[in-house]
Amino acid sequence: MAKENVSNNHVLRKVVIYGALTAALYAGVFWNSAAVLHLCAKGGIYAVFPITFVFAFSFSHGAFANYLWQLLGIEALKQPKVEAEKTAEVTKRPEVRRRARVQA
Amino acid sequence: MQDLFNSANFIDLNAWSVLFLVIVGFVGGLVSGFIGSGGAFVLTPGMMSLGVPGPVAVASNMCHKFPKALVGAYKRWKYGQVDIKLGIVMAIFATGGVQVGIKIQQMVLERWGKAGSNLYVSIAFIVILLTVGGYVLWDAYKSIRGNSSIQVEKTSSLAKRLQSINLPPMLLFKTANVRISLWIILPVGFATGLLAATIAVGGFIGVPGMIYIIGASSLVASATELVIAFIMGLGGSINWAVHGMIDIRLTLLILLGSLLGVQLGAIGTTYVKDYMIKLVMGTIMYIVVVSRFLAVPRYLTELNLMSLPEGTLKLLDKVSFIFMCIALLTGAAIILVNMWVVRRRALKEAEEATRRVEEAASPA
Repeated sequence: MAKENVSNNHVLRKVVIYGALTAALYAGVFWNSAAVLHLCAKGGIYAVFPITFVFAFSFSHGAFANYLWQLLGIEALKQPKVEAEKTAEVTKRPEVRRRARVQA
Repeated sequence: MQDLFNSANFIDLNAWSVLFLVIVGFVGGLVSGFIGSGGAFVLTPGMMSLGVPGPVAVASNMCHKFPKALVGAYKRWKYGQVDIKLGIVMAIFATGGVQVGIKIQQMVLERWGKAGSNLYVSIAFIVILLTVGGYVLWDAYKSIRGNSSIQVEKTSSLAKRLQSINLPPMLLFKTANVRISLWIILPVGFATGLLAATIAVGGFIGVPGMIYIIGASSLVASATELVIAFIMGLGGSINWAVHGMIDIRLTLLILLGSLLGVQLGAIGTTYVKDYMIKLVMGTIMYIVVVSRFLAVPRYLTELNLMSLPEGTLKLLDKVSFIFMCIALLTGAAIILVNMWVVRRRALKEAEEATRRVEEAASPA
């Protein structure tokens, strides 16, 4: 029980950290939306800005979303891994070379 | 350097449009995380209905697609469902398909104008989704009717036959548990790209192709599709960004919902049986067909091949968009209901097990 509480606190801390970071990123963009929009729509070499922005947001918000679902108890079910039907023969081919023999 | 910024391309956002983008982003993300694609077909027309110009809607949508696919692919890779090698090989051939698809689109546009191009897209939607979606649904139905308690998914006989063709170079995909010739993967990847350039949802051919032609399971195929979506989406987004067409506000608002949704969809794949992915995909495909079918009279009227009053055409446009939304919502509802049912059963079983342990431990 105590272990579970520690784990929950750890997840909650992550939710707060990544949530705050995500909120700060969104606030930063939308408070300066005109400037950011102008920068991203300049084209050419400025293409690096929208691409970098979405990577940064997906890292921060993606981590937040992951921990949020975890905190809400929505996690992957641990199902017994079922072997898929063997469709491909991936076994090693038998050695076809002949052994060297000593001719006396 | 030339400044490509044009204020006419960017709309003013209000509370309704923000809410719309976040909610559609979430539902689209949920479906994408589960079946590997989806959502884009509602977002582009949805943004256009808010007043966003077509190219900006396409660009902003694509720019949200690749980070969403990245997050979804990472999540499903952790569950052991992603075959990265298969995804990369498919994406390489799909890139070729996209180039050919764009050329065909340009040719149709030059010859028959915008209405002709729209008609071509709609007919491609209807024909492909009717045939592929029909087969996917029929296969899902067979699995449901069969022994649904068995989790092993059978490889299609076509895939088995194709895997037995020893045409070098043969490639081994460990996660998908498939050894197949590169020449079999080529047309599947190419068709995925071709469809992505035509109807913007390559996954509707990529996922069934990986299942029925290459022989991957539904779980691996839908997860691997996210790798393809990431690679192709990144390339497409860089291209649009160079032309200054991305409205970063729209992209970030969609991402706000979709990164939550895509992870929930990915978690959902661990709750359900394999055929559920086929069922969701086939159902969405068939409802989208209805939507596209309703859009055809407008294009036929614009090409002077049919005559309908403008009021009727507007009504048909609205109903067509509503059907698009219904397609997405139905897919999301099937996923969420199934997750809820399985989760409730799992919790009940856990409670039951705990109770039994407590009863056994307590003195009589």
